[in-house]
Amino acid sequence: MISRSEVIRMAELARLELSEAEIVQYQEDLNRFLRSGAALRQVDTSGVDLITYVGRAPTRMRADHVEPSLPQAKALSNGPQVVDGYFRVPRVMEDAE
Amino acid sequence: MNELAQKLSTGQVTSVELVEYYLDQIRSRDGEIGAFLHVDEQGALESARAADARRRAGRPLSPWDGIPVAVKDNICTVGMPTTCASRMLRGYYSPFDAEVVERLKQAGLPILGKTNLDEFAMGSSTEYSAYHVTRNPHDLSRVPGGSSGGSAAAVAAGLAPWALGTDTGGSIRQPAAFCGIVGFKPTYGRVSRWGLVALASSMDQIGPMAATVEDAEALFSLIAGGDHRDSTSAPQAEYVLPEEIPDCLEGVRVGVPEEFFGNGVAEEVAAKVKAAVKLLEGLGAEVRPISLPHSTYAIDTYLTLVTAEASSNLARYDGVRYGLRVAAADAAAMFKQTRTQGFGHEVKRRIMLGTYVLTASHHEAYYQQACKVRALITQDLENAFRQVHLIVTPTTPSTAFRIGEKQDPLQMYLSDQFTATANLAGVPALTMPCGRDKLGLPIGVQLMADHFQDGLLFTAGRLLERALKEAEAVGQL
Amino acid sequence: MGNYEVRIGLEIHVELATKTKIFCGCAVAFGAPPNSLCCPVCLGLPGSLPVLNRAAVQYAVRAALALKCSVNLYSEFARKNYFYPDLPKAFQITQHDKPLAENGAVQYYLDGALMETRITRLHLEEEAGKLIHSGESIVGSEYTSVDYNRAGIPLIEIVTAPDISSPAQARAFLEQLRLILQYTGVSDCRMERGSLRCDANISLHGAEGQGGVRVEIKNLNSFRALERALAFEAERQADVLDRGGVILAETRTWDERAQKTVRMRGKASTPDYRYFPEPDLPPLQLDAHWVAELKETLPELPLAREERYQRDYGLTPYDAGVLVRAPHLAQLFEAVVALGHEPRLAANWISVEYARHWRQGGTVAAEQLGELLTLVAAGEISGTQAKSVLEAMARTGRSAKEIVAAEGLTVIADREYLVELARRVLRENQALVERYLAGEQRLLGFFVGQVMRETGGRAEPKLVNELLVQELAAGRNWQPRAE
Repeated sequence: MISRSEVIRMAELARLELSEAEIVQYQEDLNRFLRSGAALRQVDTSGVDLITYVGRAPTRMRADHVEPSLPQAKALSNGPQVVDGYFRVPRVMEDAE
Repeated sequence: MNELAQKLSTGQVTSVELVEYYLDQIRSRDGEIGAFLHVDEQGALESARAADARRRAGRPLSPWDGIPVAVKDNICTVGMPTTCASRMLRGYYSPFDAEVVERLKQAGLPILGKTNLDEFAMGSSTEYSAYHVTRNPHDLSRVPGGSSGGSAAAVAAGLAPWALGTDTGGSIRQPAAFCGIVGFKPTYGRVSRWGLVALASSMDQIGPMAATVEDAEALFSLIAGGDHRDSTSAPQAEYVLPEEIPDCLEGVRVGVPEEFFGNGVAEEVAAKVKAAVKLLEGLGAEVRPISLPHSTYAIDTYLTLVTAEASSNLARYDGVRYGLRVAAADAAAMFKQTRTQGFGHEVKRRIMLGTYVLTASHHEAYYQQACKVRALITQDLENAFRQVHLIVTPTTPSTAFRIGEKQDPLQMYLSDQFTATANLAGVPALTMPCGRDKLGLPIGVQLMADHFQDGLLFTAGRLLERALKEAEAVGQL
Repeated sequence: MGNYEVRIGLEIHVELATKTKIFCGCAVAFGAPPNSLCCPVCLGLPGSLPVLNRAAVQYAVRAALALKCSVNLYSEFARKNYFYPDLPKAFQITQHDKPLAENGAVQYYLDGALMETRITRLHLEEEAGKLIHSGESIVGSEYTSVDYNRAGIPLIEIVTAPDISSPAQARAFLEQLRLILQYTGVSDCRMERGSLRCDANISLHGAEGQGGVRVEIKNLNSFRALERALAFEAERQADVLDRGGVILAETRTWDERAQKTVRMRGKASTPDYRYFPEPDLPPLQLDAHWVAELKETLPELPLAREERYQRDYGLTPYDAGVLVRAPHLAQLFEAVVALGHEPRLAANWISVEYARHWRQGGTVAAEQLGELLTLVAAGEISGTQAKSVLEAMARTGRSAKEIVAAEGLTVIADREYLVELARRVLRENQALVERYLAGEQRLLGFFVGQVMRETGGRAEPKLVNELLVQELAAGRNWQPRAE
């Protein structure tokens, strides 16, 4: 079952800030779901290959031809803060993970 | 729809008249139904005028040129917002049209507007929309189903002749069943996902929602087809409308899985669906019991996978390039505040769960296990389709529940228990009304077929529809 | 450091020189205005989907083959999930469990010894965007500007086994890797421009089991930084272990200014990337014939070429090395040899004199160079003259013969004439002659120089030398010949 600290870690991984009430609520919700899924986890799947793709499309690749990009203004058009053609964000404190 | 098309081609009715009629309906009735998030009066009328000009010149773009359509608000449209019913995308204008929208425009269909949904298509009642609730036209105190509740309600209430919805675990079929209309989920890969805001990429499909099977089939033929911009789009995906269909189901074998008629199904629902099965028999189909042994795990498998993929698909909403941004002193805080305020509870819940099943320590036991059981469920269907051509089940275990009734998310998820199987395996599935319960609420029957047997579903659906109408007329239902 | 065994592994990212990005048709170009080479796909707009660039796969396969990897005909893409402003989808499409290629190796020389480093894996992934901090460093900045022009450029990630045992070896390996990749044409591999990036892992192992902890080092922006950082870190770890301390498994960054590795900020917990197969891309299934054809297109690789030059042409390891390390020079060399010129002479001229001009931007065609070599070999111009002719050729583009004719440069090999000059020089430098005869043999050089000066450098030096020696040995009577 999922512990409180795990709930907090999940929220951190997903960049969500939870109130105390939410932490408790989500812990409950997640545990209920996990309990309901217990049977699923016990299904004997030895020798079963997992599938993640159920489509019938073969490998598709495209030719290395340049296609027109969005005009700069369009690319930036939904940006919450745009300065001199750049998307601006408040300072980035950490290095990439 | 063929009638409308006829009238348009003879000039008996104009597209502008049609569009004005629906806009009028929306104006007078959508206040209480809440099917639409955005209505594009100007755009729709402009398109209608162009359609009329083409008709007058004898150059319609398609048989349905000028017949308006509604589009679910998680499908990208240029010139209209695409909000996914979330605060996160309030006022978001996509710079590109979804492939299906391009096809609709190429066929000349004016777009009335964007319909309501559960936020980011996560839900089974449309109650999770961040904007407003949509009500079931058959009973305004009840939900229309979800997540394509807006599209279902719009068609059911006559606010739009047909609409596009999206289906990941049942989001077209369940609301179609609740609202008494036809809803269709295509074979995975048959309709391009370019421009569909992703929920679970391995299961999402766009599909038609309409009043009759024939209408749904016509709309499907407009949107089906391969697309080089979607790598999961199947190459031979085009759908050609049949010139004529057989008048019986002689030679067709129909499977009825016992697992889908158990205790969880409302009595009346089971009864009406079984009656529909009888009608299929009457049409010449051979009905036999089959088993889909792993279907009990469908809903949990589905939830594991849909939340996992969703947690990843929704990570891009961070306030940097588009959508909501909550100001903060540093980027990390901005990401957190933006996502916390931009997403509703259900979305956050699913993101949390999806994150959990993918973390290193749980990956094997949860995510990978679900992928393996998905393989077993798919295999069950493959085995079944070696014996039968069609599988018939109830679409949902019950009829439309009341707004606010299902507070427990787990209870809400169970609405999808019969529909999720088709998404897990990628097979096509059709729902159509097969009667009402004592309260007059619609009941839906679901037909499933093998990959690329979409045509068989429409044929069987049309015949069943005819048979149901006859039976009703005769008072048999 | 002596008591410990050093194990180094490298993780290298190479930008592929395709025309377009890996998952969309945006052009790969540099210096464009920010966010002007973007589309819904590389911006991660809602509803966008990736489509794989065939050339990226071709280049990656060629690189894998050149690195002697076995190419997996079946491989999968995966999502690596994390949050950062330069990552448009908040996940990177990469390859995780089922990479494109594995089990390769690179051989190279280090101080004359042949080394081998194994390649564990090679896979395809996409580049992130670029962050420009408003201040000098991340910490001092008020805001950060983001440009996604670079987002989506195809990358290959190459991971080595921890087979490397010294900083110098790491550098030699990386230089050879870069050379091999340049030969295949898949990338220009310029570290200064970021098309070649390298992170290193280093651990020290004591005889009694001390150490054995891997430390990752990032921010290595040059070959020099790579070598220095590893040297520093090895020493740091040795110090810690000597004092009985414990090495922390961490990521450190190389501080170029302070010339040391420092622990990285802001790494509170180990990231969990929650990898899972990319659902928007079907598995990558390659055709065996297609891969075999790509193998045919590989050029002769540097090590093989270096060995062949020494073996077949008798070149010195130095000359062979210089030529191989500059593919243009090697090409020129082979072209000149194909024209029938003597390989060692050609190699010598190309690797030293020609190389010098070429590095400053001058070029000379193979035929023209060959013509010059013919003149030198025939003795028609001296070596010294040839050098200035070559310089003129590189500068003006004129042929050797033109220049020689224009400047009236021909070697003076007229023995009678030179003997006269030799005698005059000796006559005019009697005192020095005495000293030479007394034993200061090296004064011969002075006499040669004088004769050369008299002829404006056009005398054949060997002949002058020979004649002077002759005259000096013959006697003291250097009267001008009576006529």
